[in-house]
Amino acid sequence: MTRPHSLQGRLLALVLGLVVSAWLATAVITYLDVRHELGELLDGHLAQAAALLVAQQGGDIEDDHGVDAPTLHRYAPKVAFQVFHEGRLVSRSANAPASPMIAPQERFQTGFKTEVIDQATWRVFAAHGAEGDVQVYVGEQVDSRNAILWAVLRSAFWPAVAALPLLALAAWWAVRRGVAPLRRLGQTLRERNAEALHPVSAENAPAEMLPMIEALNDLFARIESLMESERRFTADAAHELRTPIAAIRAQAQVALAEPDAAQRAHALNATLAGCDRATRLVEQLLTLARLEAGAAPDLAEVELRAVVRQVAAEIAPLADQKQQHLEVDAAQTARVRGDAPLLAALIRNLVDNAVRYTPARGRVKIDLAEDQSGVNVVVEDSGPGLNEAEIKRLGERFFRVLGTEHSGSGLGWSIVERIASVHKAQLEVGRSNSLGGLSIRIRLPLP
Amino acid sequence: MRILLAEDDALLGDGLRAGLRQQGFQVDWVRDGDAAERELLGQPYAAAVLDLGLPRKDGMEVLAAIRRAGQTLPVLVLTARDALPDRIRGLDVGADDYVIKPVDLDELAARLRALVRRAYGQPQERLTAQDIVLDPAARSVHKAGEPVSLAQREFDLLHALMLNAGRVMSREQLEQQMYSWGQEVESNTVEVHIHHLRRKLGPELIQTVRGVGYMLRRAVPKTQ
Repeated sequence: MTRPHSLQGRLLALVLGLVVSAWLATAVITYLDVRHELGELLDGHLAQAAALLVAQQGGDIEDDHGVDAPTLHRYAPKVAFQVFHEGRLVSRSANAPASPMIAPQERFQTGFKTEVIDQATWRVFAAHGAEGDVQVYVGEQVDSRNAILWAVLRSAFWPAVAALPLLALAAWWAVRRGVAPLRRLGQTLRERNAEALHPVSAENAPAEMLPMIEALNDLFARIESLMESERRFTADAAHELRTPIAAIRAQAQVALAEPDAAQRAHALNATLAGCDRATRLVEQLLTLARLEAGAAPDLAEVELRAVVRQVAAEIAPLADQKQQHLEVDAAQTARVRGDAPLLAALIRNLVDNAVRYTPARGRVKIDLAEDQSGVNVVVEDSGPGLNEAEIKRLGERFFRVLGTEHSGSGLGWSIVERIASVHKAQLEVGRSNSLGGLSIRIRLPLP
Repeated sequence: MRILLAEDDALLGDGLRAGLRQQGFQVDWVRDGDAAERELLGQPYAAAVLDLGLPRKDGMEVLAAIRRAGQTLPVLVLTARDALPDRIRGLDVGADDYVIKPVDLDELAARLRALVRRAYGQPQERLTAQDIVLDPAARSVHKAGEPVSLAQREFDLLHALMLNAGRVMSREQLEQQMYSWGQEVESNTVEVHIHHLRRKLGPELIQTVRGVGYMLRRAVPKTQ
């Protein structure tokens, strides 16, 4: 298991990494610069000292050779000089060797040279007098230069190094403070109970977090409305299921107690009608539940004319009872991609509805036609149709048009809509031009 | 006893009306909230059975409206809405009883009788006046312990008079309690039934208040 990235840790590492890198770069540049300047300065001193010695020797050359200069400073052992006159060592410092610090070459050369003498590295400057009889060597141990260099660097950088832990601590605190709004949001979300869907307050939230909080609140709102519609559905379903059951019970009880045969038969018929209604309602609820379970049905090629004819044949007896004229106008076959039982349920719902809401001796027509853009199924009737407000409310579950004694569940349209959306079909509700009642057009895409 | 039934479902309304009639109620059935409100404010019902999910006007609104208008009759809410907040709101808005569908017809009738009894300030199950005892549940009448056989209209008339014992009831008021819609009210019918009741139960029980109506005496008037 990998630990999730910590934003705080990342920020901290980045900040500290950058600071340390900047320091190191500064240190390198300082080192190079100081070494260069120091080298120039000390070389200058060597040259100056050599020039002084040469000038001195040029004046009076005493033959008191072998004179050793006294050690006058703690750095003196690190600095040495030799003065030769016509090849003889005239004078030297206490720590200088007897032989020339730069091994004699064929031609004497004035200038700097780095030599290893007694395992120590020296920087030596060689100079000669105007006549060439005086040769002067002034040397200085490279060690001492490095010591100075490091001392400079040390004094420049030790405060920075010492400050690093403090800086790290400060950076940690700053980053922590910086990401505090994020942490607070996390805390707020953790502390809510699972049902709490009220929006998170965006007050005092930094601008960077606003899109996140807004998206979150948007999500909460959507979940809330989803849950609300579920709650309402449950309540409505309870109502819709209890009412037919209450009717069945009341009618059965009336039948039991009724002495009059005709009255008893009426109550028993009503009991059966209640059972039919409850059955249809349960079937519709199951269809809807299956559709809403989200399992997309397998779509295959469906011949829609056969489906339309089958549905019409199923409903024909009901239309016949009401002496209605039910006709199918499907001149040619039409193929669509879909689920045949679902498409049948869709068309059945529409035709069943048309037959129910159309008065006796009315007309119901199913039209199937294909054009370039798709397959159209139009179900029309000569019933009362729907007004604008009623069309708007069609989608509401259990909505029933008032003032009718028809016992619809109000679930049909929800089922129709779900099946249409599964098939990417469009639904148009309007008034029938030819029959005057409701007209519903289903527009299915071509396969 | 005449009650109003407000129920939009055809099958259930039909069943409840038939069942309550079997139990001796006169039942007027309306199918929407507007009609329920209109009837409850316009007619003297002994009680009402009110469905909440009524078209045009929700039962809860009907209830609130008639209570605002000062209508105090007992209202039994019969609904499929069983959520606790709904029940609490129903009672708070002014329902006297709250019954969840489906309901047993005998229980519904018993609850209605109890509501009506309490509404008339009668805590006992049986109504008594002088030596007459009327049992609304059994639809029986006893005089001095002996059963008396009454026709349905006679029973309804006596029931209305006993519920309003000590109050003068007009002929119209009594007719309204005895007949539901669509039932032919013959002229002089109240007079005829009063006559029968006096014959079966004694002349002292029901007093005629001339030009006003009738009053049932709770106790035998002291004779000089």
